[in-house]
Amino acid sequence: MYRKLSLLLITLVLTLSLFTGCQKEAGTIKLGLEGPMTGDYAYEGQGFEKAVQLLVDQTNEAGGLLGRQIELVIEDDAGDPTQAALVAQRLVDADVVAVIGAYNSTATEPASEIYNEAGILHVTPSSTATRLTEKGFERFFRVCFLDDRQGLFAATFAKEVLGVQTFGILHDNSTYAQGLAEHTKRYAEEMGVDVAFYDAINPDDTDFTPILTNIGAAGLDAIYFTGYHAQGGLLLKQTGELGLDLNWMMGNASNNPELIQIAGLENAVGTYITTEPLPKDVDYPEARQFVADFEEAYDMSPDSVWWMMAAEAFNVIRYAIEQTESTDSEVLADFLHNEAKDINGITGPILGWDEKGDRLGTIHLAYIIGENGDFIVNPEQP
Amino acid sequence: MQFLQQMINGITIGAFYSLVALGYTMVYGVLKLINFAHGDLFMWGAYVGLTGLNIILALIAQTSPWAILPSVIVVMVTVALAGVAVERVAYRPLRKAGRLAPVISALGVAFILQSLARNIYGASYKTYPNGVALSGGTTLGGARISVMQVAVLAISFLLMGFLYLFVQRTRIGTAMRAVSLDHDTSRLMGIDVNRIIAIVFLIGPGLGGVAGMIVALYYGSFDFTLGWSFGLKAFIAAIMGGIGNIPGAMMGGMILGIIETLGSGYLSPQWKDVIAYVILILILIFRPTGLLGERVAEKL
Repeated sequence: MYRKLSLLLITLVLTLSLFTGCQKEAGTIKLGLEGPMTGDYAYEGQGFEKAVQLLVDQTNEAGGLLGRQIELVIEDDAGDPTQAALVAQRLVDADVVAVIGAYNSTATEPASEIYNEAGILHVTPSSTATRLTEKGFERFFRVCFLDDRQGLFAATFAKEVLGVQTFGILHDNSTYAQGLAEHTKRYAEEMGVDVAFYDAINPDDTDFTPILTNIGAAGLDAIYFTGYHAQGGLLLKQTGELGLDLNWMMGNASNNPELIQIAGLENAVGTYITTEPLPKDVDYPEARQFVADFEEAYDMSPDSVWWMMAAEAFNVIRYAIEQTESTDSEVLADFLHNEAKDINGITGPILGWDEKGDRLGTIHLAYIIGENGDFIVNPEQP
Repeated sequence: MQFLQQMINGITIGAFYSLVALGYTMVYGVLKLINFAHGDLFMWGAYVGLTGLNIILALIAQTSPWAILPSVIVVMVTVALAGVAVERVAYRPLRKAGRLAPVISALGVAFILQSLARNIYGASYKTYPNGVALSGGTTLGGARISVMQVAVLAISFLLMGFLYLFVQRTRIGTAMRAVSLDHDTSRLMGIDVNRIIAIVFLIGPGLGGVAGMIVALYYGSFDFTLGWSFGLKAFIAAIMGGIGNIPGAMMGGMILGIIETLGSGYLSPQWKDVIAYVILILILIFRPTGLLGERVAEKL
């Protein structure tokens, strides 16, 4: 008698749960945000959250997307590939329509495999390693620009503006940094610059004095560090402590104020940075509007270009959903590949994407850290 | 010129490893336990030092290196008490539970301490305020040595010297050495073993905490993973020198620091860990108890 009762109960519960599943159709549109909310790159991840949440709130207040409210599901990958794989699976299970993220290429890579398997639209704001679009993922897009372009820009800047003949390149063996270093080396050598020093640091270390002593003795005209800002800051600081006179260039993972905080102002002044233009220098009305809205909402300015890129990623997804009136990833991806052209993006005009998912065009600028610790566009550009 | 500079670099980092290695070796000596949480107590020293320093700087309303001294005392006391608490809560109940349980417990404490630091202080890098660390330096024979380096080395050697004298020449120190040989016989000799162990956990972590503050002050910035990398290296250094042996820990630390630096400078930073650990393995093959370790008969 009890067996029959429990069997009936179980059937009832299971049938009911089927109905709860159906509710989704008319509910919210879920959007995933994957980023390093903790760890080495927390500065960027937390900025992603602020930027995207701002736009989500604005969209929701204006009536939502396709009449539905957007729900942002945020996951922390700490910049670590293993954790990225875990949270990617979580987002897939949460039935998100699209994912924005991650920050660093090392985390984006495993996550993109999982999103690709699940067929979800995946847009990264900041992972610039070329490898990511070489896998033939049809629903993977970037709103940032590629590292081979940055490598070319860095090499050209070093040669033409700084007049470098003996060049050094330092990376940290991560996907992004190593890729950028290799591209820079290739282009530099093609231009006839002698890359006399090419090595990598271990990002877990805090003491770089041995390698800096080496660099100091190598007689380089300039040294380009392609790693992340936490180590970049320490490198600058220890250069000052060793009393070395080095001409530092850094890549677009060092383009934020925390670099200067870690290095100490006097050690950071005069460092060149190659990067996409910072939000304050992007001369488009959409960009200015974003900066103003951000400052009003959070009482701080969006100092990192990657936060603006995260907003751009959301902008692109929102545009695609509005234009196609669909939340189906295949439709959205198809739209972005074939029909999305000349969009007025927050980071400037988006010309479109190529078949690999890379954003067309490039804009890089060379910055120099000024006496007050601000990032000034270098007067001479290649 | 380069060699001299690399040696200075190596000795500096070696001194840091030695300071931390001392904590590992002392605890192992009396408890035969590898206190994996030691690296994280060291990391907590850096955080407590920062908080203490900020409070003191706010009180005296100017930045001055003199603020370091009271902060160091705060750090020493806080981390020492934390060490005693950890021992009482996580290790003492497991003393009769075999060799494995306390080790697992130590690992657990290590992770708890890391997560606590991350949740309380946040995950981003913290920087020590400018102007507190001593600035300036001089060039000696082509190599640069900074005032901060000299200060740090002086303090490290002083601390290690005091510890050595304490263990060798005082009654408590002798009691410690007795406890590290055999608990039961020590009790028969009238030594309060629990009290001695508590004292070891006062000194070991206390020193570790101070080392944490010094290291963070020296490098300027740190985050909650500081204890992990430093702790591992210091642990290796303690083993290299002979675990349980205080001069061994000092020696192991210096050797590891110098080997790492020379390997990093002359080969590549990518190889430095490989070189350091290969040397460790070689040392252990030829002298299994470490360089200065005593050959003690294993109690079965």
